[in-house]
Amino acid sequence: MKKRNLRIFCLAIVTVLLLGVLAGACFTADGAANLKPVELQFYMVGDAPKDLQLVQEKINELAKKDLNVTVKFNYTSWTDFSTKYNLLLQTGQPIDLIYTASWLDYAKLARKNAFKPLDSLLPKYAPQLYKFVPKDYWNQVKVNGKIYTIPATWKEFTSNGFQYRKDLQKQFNLPEPDSLENVEKYFEGIKKNMPGQVLTGEYVSPGPGSWSFSALEILQMKYKWVNFGTPYGLVADYSNPSNIKAYWGSPEFAADMKMFKRWADKGFWSRSALSAKTDMTAFDNGKVVAIIQGQNPNKYGASLVSAKNAHPDWEIGYVPYPAVNGIAQVAHATQNGYAVPFSSKNPERALMFYQKLVLDKRYNWLSQYGIEGVHYNVKDGYYEPIGDPTKTGFGREGMNGWGWRNPDYMLFDKSFDAVKVIFEQMGTIASKSKYRGINIFDGFAEDYSSYQSERAALGTVLTQYLAPLEAGLVSDVDAAIKVFMEKAKAAGLEKIQKEYIKQWKAYCAQYNYK
Amino acid sequence: MPKKDGFSAELKKNKILFLMLVPTIAFFLINNYVPMVGIYYAFTKFDIQAGLFGSPFVGLDNFKFLYQSNILWNITKNTILYNLVFIAVGNLLQIFIAVLLYKLSGNVFRKVTQTLMFMPYFVSYVILGVLVYNLFNYELGFINTLLKSLHIQPLDVFNSPQLWPVLIPVFYMWKWVGYGTVIYLATMLGISSEYYEAAEIDGANIFQQIRYITLPQIKPTFIILVLFALGSIMKGQFELFYQLVGSNGNLYITTDIIDTYVYRSLMFDFDIGIGAAGGLYQSVFGFILIITVNFLVKRRNPEYALF
Repeated sequence: MKKRNLRIFCLAIVTVLLLGVLAGACFTADGAANLKPVELQFYMVGDAPKDLQLVQEKINELAKKDLNVTVKFNYTSWTDFSTKYNLLLQTGQPIDLIYTASWLDYAKLARKNAFKPLDSLLPKYAPQLYKFVPKDYWNQVKVNGKIYTIPATWKEFTSNGFQYRKDLQKQFNLPEPDSLENVEKYFEGIKKNMPGQVLTGEYVSPGPGSWSFSALEILQMKYKWVNFGTPYGLVADYSNPSNIKAYWGSPEFAADMKMFKRWADKGFWSRSALSAKTDMTAFDNGKVVAIIQGQNPNKYGASLVSAKNAHPDWEIGYVPYPAVNGIAQVAHATQNGYAVPFSSKNPERALMFYQKLVLDKRYNWLSQYGIEGVHYNVKDGYYEPIGDPTKTGFGREGMNGWGWRNPDYMLFDKSFDAVKVIFEQMGTIASKSKYRGINIFDGFAEDYSSYQSERAALGTVLTQYLAPLEAGLVSDVDAAIKVFMEKAKAAGLEKIQKEYIKQWKAYCAQYNYK
Repeated sequence: MPKKDGFSAELKKNKILFLMLVPTIAFFLINNYVPMVGIYYAFTKFDIQAGLFGSPFVGLDNFKFLYQSNILWNITKNTILYNLVFIAVGNLLQIFIAVLLYKLSGNVFRKVTQTLMFMPYFVSYVILGVLVYNLFNYELGFINTLLKSLHIQPLDVFNSPQLWPVLIPVFYMWKWVGYGTVIYLATMLGISSEYYEAAEIDGANIFQQIRYITLPQIKPTFIILVLFALGSIMKGQFELFYQLVGSNGNLYITTDIIDTYVYRSLMFDFDIGIGAAGGLYQSVFGFILIITVNFLVKRRNPEYALF
């Protein structure tokens, strides 16, 4: 009797357990209902839109229902963003999704194991997204044979251009600023006719790869290099990438630095520029009349939108650098993406959510354009902001959602047609160039482990001696170049260059860039 | 009964007192001593997944960047000199103002002055950085606009490194004088008025009273404040320098301190090992310094030494 009771008891327990497992299995297949609630930490660089909280709530309403997930969107702000970004990844605080970009050292961080490899997770937890992103994009983002980021798929030209005030150029009868000489004439003309006007907001731009003065980008009107960051002072022409040579210390370098000194002496930028901070809205507010650095066609488009409302009398001109030097490069797949940091506790759920963000139109439009009827309207297929875009709580791509752009859902402002024209122009230029617009430099992932301390030492030399040279804020250019070269050599420049050239040539040989 | 001594006897005797000490000891152990394990980072090539002890050991490689470009002497010198100026001028100014305020009879005036001087303490260095930039901007800055309207040559502050050894201490004083003054004033208010009454009867004038009563009475406060300040002499007010100078290479010759230098090398190449190496250099140097100073103080006035 006793024995039988025990057996029944055991059987009962087994049945209950089995049922539990089955039920569990059913529910997971079913979706959100039985997933345990999770809060995801989502990180993006830049400033948060004012109405982030509103939009976040709306997104969380959807995500809670679909995936039992709530998401906290965090922003680094633009102040010292690259330091903050690196700190976030290296201190190991739990983050589930973080923006990655070639200009934020995606490949180097991946090599340092900052991100989780996604190869096996993607087909399982984000299968549609895995299919949606083309094969060659997945291949381009691989580091040491593994996928560490989900690339954005919108084909974008990230070449920059010179933005200026066309209305002023016409008014004062100045030439179109489409060459170094004409840029100089444009600045001089405005200086003469509007003496109190500040011309540009140049500053020292601290990038993870190089320290340079922002006006340096104007050299794209002169050279056809693969990269204008001139890593370690080395340059190579786009048509002949494997022929890499030293720029710092060369006669062209001296000539360029003298030109910058002439420009500085003429007051094209403030004598206090070295201590200046970036002001992203200076052009749109009329504080300056030109942007030399970092102005890609997209940003030009944003400027157009903002001027249309705030300054209808303005006419904004734009000379894409590719139109001058003939080199237009399509953004590399690593330009915009999202990765799951090593510290993430919920990589599965993060991928499920990210798939929704890209492929579910409701999520995508909410996070890119805000709340329909509050922040924007769709009219004839065009995006239409509500109210003054400079004061809106959520502008177009207000969350800096470059990573989760979906070309199928993207909405454009009517004024963006001008940008599309530029893109087409760049497309033509790219197709004529030797490597058809492939972004050769961004595909190269330097391994600097053998010259790390030299690199750190050189970095400090660059701010101290190179940036003032580039800004033209030295009294004697030749003497300053001599000091800079001496200090750079003492920091180990030659060792770095030797190793870098070796790696670069191996890379060129691998992809057959001659 | 033989007299027991030693630690165990002491422990037995003052059980409760030792028990009360436990939270403090735990606090310092957790917050100040355990993190010292991180010193090991300075000797490794950091790998995010391998963590502290899994990362490969590289010996002194991480320290190389400090001496590679022969800059170590310059930044160490700047760090120490600036801090000496901060300590010396800062304390003298604070004492001077405290004495003045102390001798003032108007209570309302004293309170208002005290508050006004204390205010800058609450202003963050970020704001100060913006203020200074707008004050000294060559074309549009407040000072230069003023100079130009008076037909005087404008000052090119951001390209004149020789001005900064004066400017930085000035802004440091601006921020900290009020704070220190309050501390000294509090000490002075604690001095018994009988001393002064006695001195007055003996015919001491006000300067003699300050010289022979006030100053000797605040000497212990002064020495302790100085010793504390010396301990952090190698950690030279990073924010102040960073916010005022930023990435202006033309000024580094006179404004670069160890903190800003290390920060800059990390901006170019973010590496925890190199950062830890810089921090360790600072700490060891600061440690030697405070031990030396404390030793010297102890030899002259043992009762004022920190430990």
